[in-house]
Amino acid sequence: MTWDWSYAASIMPDLLFGVVVTVLATIACSAIALLGGLLIAIAQMNCGRVGQHAMRAVMEVFRGVPILVLLYFGFYALPEIGILLPGFVVGVLVLGTVYAAYCSEVYRGALMTIPADMRDAAAALGLSRFAIWYVVLVPIAVRKSLPALVNYVLVLYKQSSFLFAIGVPVLLSQAQLAGYQSFRYLEPYTIAGVLYVLMNVPFVLYQRRFNLKVGTSLS
Amino acid sequence: MTVAIATASILGCAIVSIMLGVARRSGFAPVRTAAGLVVELLRGASVLIYLFWVYYALPLVPGMPRLGPIAVSVVVLSLVGGAYGAEIVVSGLQGVAKGQAEAALALGLSRYHTFVRVVLPQALTQIVPAFASLAIDMVKWTAIVSFLGVQDLLSVANTIRTMTYSTVGVYVGVAAIYLGLSLCTSYLFHLAEQLLPLNRALTAARDSANSSRGSALLMKSGVT
Repeated sequence: MTWDWSYAASIMPDLLFGVVVTVLATIACSAIALLGGLLIAIAQMNCGRVGQHAMRAVMEVFRGVPILVLLYFGFYALPEIGILLPGFVVGVLVLGTVYAAYCSEVYRGALMTIPADMRDAAAALGLSRFAIWYVVLVPIAVRKSLPALVNYVLVLYKQSSFLFAIGVPVLLSQAQLAGYQSFRYLEPYTIAGVLYVLMNVPFVLYQRRFNLKVGTSLS
Repeated sequence: MTVAIATASILGCAIVSIMLGVARRSGFAPVRTAAGLVVELLRGASVLIYLFWVYYALPLVPGMPRLGPIAVSVVVLSLVGGAYGAEIVVSGLQGVAKGQAEAALALGLSRYHTFVRVVLPQALTQIVPAFASLAIDMVKWTAIVSFLGVQDLLSVANTIRTMTYSTVGVYVGVAAIYLGLSLCTSYLFHLAEQLLPLNRALTAARDSANSSRGSALLMKSGVT
């Protein structure tokens, strides 16, 4: 079978719609992961020993189980207990929550490297507990964890293709659909692969620049 | 099936990582650039994309073989995992002081022996712990092979779910099994870490230091 340009052109609109959904899903997941991770990290630093262990256990589950299993769980098991959500929402919530668990570790690490003097100084200045966190500690922690967080956004972008498993029309699903309808798999999958890699390039370049500037290497 | 694919992929991934990692440190610039490009390409998109592309699209390219679903799974997981592993190998090799390799070369060891006997054993001490977390990721990645119809843990679970309609129970069970597998993997790597040449040497040195201190103490107590 040879490459058919007219067929490739005819499936482009569908694939581009997939690109839009992929980008939207990535943005939504990142928002949940970045904000949720920060909240988890703050909660972990502020609750007692028992609460800390409980949260760690929950996060171990989120990180130790394949995302596909969690996605299926959200998609098939939640309706059984009466929660009916569209696939896109389930997918974004699951991916966002899993990566919130990953990001919280990054924030926690950053928060722990802030010297205790900083908190003492803020307290000595008479700042409220709320102000100590939101004006002093959180901005420092966010700045410190930025390179690792960019990395996770990149991972989320790649993992958004897993949403295909529960029928969200991301780029991969659109490619599969196009191939399935016309029994030509070469063009849709190849174009999808190239698009995925190309969309990744700006991220990678940005990251490389960022690494050089900050001078830290990412995992 | 999950265990078999995970084991095969982790082994393949280790081989690919070392090859790509060494190629990225090669003295010959084109090899270095090519390895860098391969790594960036493989890391550029999700492993799912490559799995589907190799399974559905590659056989349509003239002259390409049609591989079975299991073979495709192992090959793709090994290659993509290897691209991530290459970074671990590179930073592990960078961690070994340059003087070590220079000294070995100066002593007249061949390049091959310098690498295999001197640099690699030291680098492994750094590489293996980092590789453990990659291996755990690989165990989780194997869940995607269910898309190709491989009868792995997840696809069996889906079959059971459609037969029994007990969704929550099945998925909680599957999650527990995957967690168990991850724990086993990390335990195995923990064991492997203790078998590494440098760690063994360090342990032996510590033991002999302890025993010699012990005998010294004995002698002292014997004298007094």
